[in-house]
Formats: sequence, structure tokens, C-alpha cells
Amino acid sequence: MTEQRAPAEGRLLVVDDDQDMLNLLANWLGNAGYTVTSALCGTDALGQIEICKPDLVITDLFMDGMDGMTLLTEIHSRNPLIPVIMLSGQAQIPDAVKATHLGTAAFLTKPVEKSELLAEVARHARTERNGATSSGFGSELIYRSSVMSELLDQAEMLAGGDITVFINGETGTGKEVLAKAIHEASPRSGAPFIGVNCGAIPEQLLESELFGHEKGAFTGATTKHDGLFQAADGGTLFLDEIGDMPLGLQVKLLRVLQDFEVRPVGSTKSVPVNVRIISATHNNLDKLVSDGEFREDLYYRLNVVPLNMPSLRERREDIGALLDHFLVRHAQKNNSKTKRFDPAALEYLTAATWPGNVRQLANAVELCVTLTKGEVIPLAMAQKALREEPGRIQTLKEAKQEFERKYLISVLRVTSGNVASAAAIAGRNRTEFYKLLGQHGIDAGAFRGEREDGAETS
Amino acid sequence: MSEKIIVQIDPDLEDLIPGFLNNRVNDVETIRSQLDSGNLDEIRILGHSMKGAGGGYGFDRITEIGDVIETAAVAGDLEVIRDAVDQLADYLARVEPVPEA
Repeated sequence: MTEQRAPAEGRLLVVDDDQDMLNLLANWLGNAGYTVTSALCGTDALGQIEICKPDLVITDLFMDGMDGMTLLTEIHSRNPLIPVIMLSGQAQIPDAVKATHLGTAAFLTKPVEKSELLAEVARHARTERNGATSSGFGSELIYRSSVMSELLDQAEMLAGGDITVFINGETGTGKEVLAKAIHEASPRSGAPFIGVNCGAIPEQLLESELFGHEKGAFTGATTKHDGLFQAADGGTLFLDEIGDMPLGLQVKLLRVLQDFEVRPVGSTKSVPVNVRIISATHNNLDKLVSDGEFREDLYYRLNVVPLNMPSLRERREDIGALLDHFLVRHAQKNNSKTKRFDPAALEYLTAATWPGNVRQLANAVELCVTLTKGEVIPLAMAQKALREEPGRIQTLKEAKQEFERKYLISVLRVTSGNVASAAAIAGRNRTEFYKLLGQHGIDAGAFRGEREDGAETS
Repeated sequence: MSEKIIVQIDPDLEDLIPGFLNNRVNDVETIRSQLDSGNLDEIRILGHSMKGAGGGYGFDRITEIGDVIETAAVAGDLEVIRDAVDQLADYLARVEPVPEA
């Protein structure tokens, strides 16, 4: 065990059973300014975790005794937020895939370049600190992936100003959490953050919810009501599912955004409001605009800076950390011991498709923890949780889209990718059929030849 | 015949280099004795370690030889191992690390 003194840029634990390799890594990292603790085996490393409290661990994969993969699982069962970089002498793709599934931050092949190692360490030590502290930007967002790191960097830069932000992303990805992070890092953080789901409230009610109403403005309006714009005065108004806002209301919203004045329903006077608008949708707003379902002028007014919230499938490397986060949170909330997933369960959950994204994952963890008596959640329970997790009921439009997509794929399969025949079967002309394929991102060419698996591009 | 091989090294690693090279000299001994006793697994591990660390210390040649030794140990090719170990011994005898200015 050696300790090198260095400025407090970060504490690293380096594990390798080859003393020469350990010396080399400790030298590189120590000279780069990190405080380095070295361990010659996994058991030694686990002992050191409590003492040196590393910000990041670098471990060899193949070691006598405890291997790197087991060490990774053990470290994360103690503290899921420590990023682990894996080094391997062999570039075995299955190992790299498994390590990624188990939540490794990076997988590097030996001989490793000094610059490559330092770059990875700098990246993960930094992103993880952002994700782990409660005072940093986006502390509610758990991530290791570079895609999230870049998104948060961008969002943090935007937070300071008053610029209108538009967040696009699937349901359950955490769009509101991101919006709130932007609000909290902004000069408006002392004023309210108010979120409203534009798709969940009927048009008539939404108008009075947003803009308020006068007493007697309509049947049942027995008192004067300040709308959400006024309630959020000085702060941020988060308009979720903006794509579902009825057209009639879109024009009224546009007027507010132009003048920053609201006129409550039944009133003749406008009230000035000072709010920052963050809007979000899971819909393709470009398409809604081209279909005439969303006003183009409002679109440009809202979409000043677009941020894209990735789906969980696009940030699979975060799944391990998210699972651990929700396990720890559940234990803290219930004052109980933190449970953990069996490695097979972890692998299963990491490979799952997660159509409901982080929200679905949080629900699945809740279900697993509640139904598991022991400390370790087995594979069968994880499978059960994903099967039984009540799926979000699709909107009619989503269901139609899904059906249409499946239908197009099956027709193309039957015709082996021949678009003319497929169009004839579908009762559409070829131009229309191509348009449909384009809308669904389906490549007819992928169905030509011997392919039976219906490969598509999307 | 025994011409020196000058290798530029990272000055930060200067203190570690003699120990690293000395360990490789020991490896030569170990591999030769393991060749006699046929313990290929031990040889494979030594080759693997050399491959992983050699280039990092500035000795790409050691990484190359380590790779050959590891691969040959997996394949059970004693001739190739013997030849590689001779090359390693020769390299170690001639190499002269010089800190980069």
C-alpha cells in the first residue's frame, strides 16, 4: 500500500496484482495531481475503500483471487456512486459488454496509453462528483454516461440566463427533473418552480389553470383564481407535454410569451408576469408542426434552446448506478438495510428495453425491494418486476403508430422488401407508402435478400 | 554485436525503471525454468504482465515480446517461447533508458 501526496484534485484507488503495473499507474496519476492509493488485490482494495474514500477506482480485470468484475460488484454494493474504470490485458468484447452492464465507467485495454487513462479518469471523476453531490448541478440526475454529462454541462450553462428552454425526450426520462435543475441553478431559484402537464387537463380548465379566471367567468367559477403564470411569477413555469396543448390555447400562450402579460378568463385587464418558460414533450414537435397540429410561431418561440433527454436505452451504462441509487434511496426512506441485485438480475435489468425509462426503473426497484425478503434480489424477481410493472397506457395516437409500424414491417417482410408489392397489399400508392416508411424510419432495403429478422433502421 | 539500444523514457518514471527492468531479468530466469518444468500457465501470466506494462514504461519492445510469449504459451509452442525469451534477454542486456529532455 503506497500513498502519494498530491493536490486534492481527487482520490483514486488503483488495483492491480502486478506491482510494476501498479507502480506505473500510481506514478502517472500521482504526477497528474491525484492522491493515489494502491492495492495489490481485490480484498485489499475493499478494505481501502472505507479508509481512503476514493472518488474513482481503477482496477485490472484479471487478478488472482477476486477478479475485477467481482470487485466492481462489491464496490457498488457498498457505494453505487463510485465510478470504476476497468483495465484488461485482452480486448475481449464479452468482458467489455459484461463490465458495461455491471456499471463500469470505462473499459480500457492494456497496454494503456497515459493520455487515454488520464482523460478517462478526468472525465469520470468529474461527472461522478457532479452526480454524487447534493449541492452540484442536477444532483437529482444519476448518471455516468458521457451523453448525460454533455447534456448537463449544456443545461448548466443555460441555467444562468433567462433563455427559453425546450426539452425533448421520451416519457419517464426525467424531463421535469432536468427542468427543475435548471430552475434551481438559475437566479430565479428563490421563486417558485411550477410544473403543469398540458396533456392531462381539458382545454377549458387548462386555460383557467394557466391564466387564471375572474369570479363568475364561467359556471362554477365562484371565486377569483390566479393562474399558474401568476403563481410562478419571478420563477419558472414548466409546461410539460406542450405538444398536447390544444390549438386554441396555443395562440393564447403565444400572446403571453410575446407580451409577458396574462389576461385571466373573464377579465378585461392584462396582468404583467415575469416567468421563465421551460417546455417539454415526448412528441416529435417538428412533425406536429408539419402536420398542422402545432403552431409554427409558438414552436419557434418555445424552441429557443433545445435539449434532448436521452432514453434509458441510449444511456445503458447508467442503469447500474440508477438501480443502486433507487435501492439506497428506498433503504434510507424506510430506514432499512440496503438490498442489492444478484449479478444475473443486474445483467437482466441492464439489458432490458425500459420503454418507461427511469420512471419504470424506479417502480421496478420499488417492487423488487418490497417483495424480496432477503438481502439479495434474485433474477426471477427482477423478471417478475418487469413483467408485472404496470405499463404506461399508451395514448390512442401512440397505439396507432405502434400498430402502423408493426404492420409496415410485417408487409415488408412478406414482400421481402419489395415496396411496390408492399404498397399494393397495403392499398396505398408507392409515394404514400415511402412516406410512411420514412415517418417510421424503416428501411425497406433491410428486408431484401435473406434477412428474416426484419432489421430496420430507426 | 552487443550494440546499445537507446530508449527515451518519461523522466517521471526514471526512479521506477531500474526496478521494472530488473523484474524482467527475473522473468527471463523464471520463464526458462518454467519451460523446463512445462508450467505454461505461469509463463502466460508473465507474458501477459509484460505486454500490459512494457509500453507504459516506454519499452514497446517488451510489450511486443510479452504478447508473443503469452500467445505462444496459450498455444503451447515452446520453441517460440524459447526464442522470445532469448530476444528478451538480449534486449535487456543492451537497452539503455535515457530520460527525455
